[in-house]
Amino acid sequence: MAALLWHAPLSAQGRPLVPTGTQNLGFGNVIPGLSTQVLRSDPVGSGQFTLRGEKNAQVQLLFVLPASMSGPLGATIPLTFGASDGGFSAAEVITSQTVFDPRAPALGRLSNNGRASVFLGGTANPGPAQRSGSYTGTITLTVSYTGL
Amino acid sequence: MTNFRRWLPALLLAIPGTAVAQGVIVAPHAVFIDHATRAGSITLYNPGEEPVEVTVSFGFGFPTTDSSGSISIELSDTAPAGEPGATAWLQAFPRRVTIGQQKRQTIRILASPPANLPDGEYWARLTVSAKGGKVPVAGVPDSGGISVGLSLEVRTVISVMYRKGALTTGVTLAPVSASYAGDSVAVRIPLARTGTAVYLGTARASVTSEGGEIKGQDERAVAVYHSLDPRIDVPVGALAPGKYKVRVTVSTDRSDLPPKAALTAPTVRDSVEFTVR
Repeated sequence: MAALLWHAPLSAQGRPLVPTGTQNLGFGNVIPGLSTQVLRSDPVGSGQFTLRGEKNAQVQLLFVLPASMSGPLGATIPLTFGASDGGFSAAEVITSQTVFDPRAPALGRLSNNGRASVFLGGTANPGPAQRSGSYTGTITLTVSYTGL
Repeated sequence: MTNFRRWLPALLLAIPGTAVAQGVIVAPHAVFIDHATRAGSITLYNPGEEPVEVTVSFGFGFPTTDSSGSISIELSDTAPAGEPGATAWLQAFPRRVTIGQQKRQTIRILASPPANLPDGEYWARLTVSAKGGKVPVAGVPDSGGISVGLSLEVRTVISVMYRKGALTTGVTLAPVSASYAGDSVAVRIPLARTGTAVYLGTARASVTSEGGEIKGQDERAVAVYHSLDPRIDVPVGALAPGKYKVRVTVSTDRSDLPPKAALTAPTVRDSVEFTVR
């Protein structure tokens, strides 16, 4: 830490905006032909991010959401995200979220400590003859201050 | 003690100890490059316990407002025609790097502007993408089972401004408006930039009663590239019937930016009254 601080650029000001993914969006084991929904308020399954930055700053959230997940031998499982699948909480409490549509850019405001959490739900739609195996994909969250 | 030294320890403590997609700290959060040096840099720090693969790229975008006063930044790969984009002639070195746990990396930004570049300010957005190690999918499928999971990736976008020559900035403030609903007063602040550089400032709004009691106040950092009409929702709680006044000031006061980054300009003010029946 001391070395880091010693070499820090002297002109730097303000708190950088730092997003961190803390929990993957997980659907667990699903059943062929049966859609599985994970709510943004699900403490175990929801995708979760934390934000750290300038106190009270407004930030833009922009998700890139995959249309499907990739599995064995090129098999895919379609994914859907709804207008209420995004949640923002300046208090970082999963039970106290402001709902937003993760399919469009959204705004949030960091707390007076410069903190917030973002939650994400979604639905996996395996087909009746879905090939067995592990399916994966990537969700990308892009963040930026709106005042710069 | 610089601001950087003051906030970094707190920021490091605030970042979760466990992460599946560790973002890197990108400092500073805005880069200003002068034509005399044609170079800048950012410092990346990986506070996590795993190496992070980082990619740096340039794009274009700036804050705009929609009809409701919400701000958004639409990012594109290149600058639209007529916009003073710097994207095409900025380069980052290195563009791709793996940063070890609790290590730092300097990214150099070099500019190669056209020889006949007119005086002015030129804009870009720098995106830092951070990708952690391979993330296991939760749950292991039984024989014949299906397990699904989505891993996370995070990106941080900062602004880059390239400045050549003597620049000026300022804003004009059209009449502000205010409407009371629920427990807040929505204040619209229509701003139009003047001069040759982005206006970086702070908009403040306060609501006072007829007797002069402050019922609520709030502020917002603003960046006016061309025009901006942001809405600030001032929390006031339940207002008793009567007359109230909203005062708005917009100044180039920005404590989050280094000195001289936010060009100075005269403060603008306006006010408007509304009645609660």
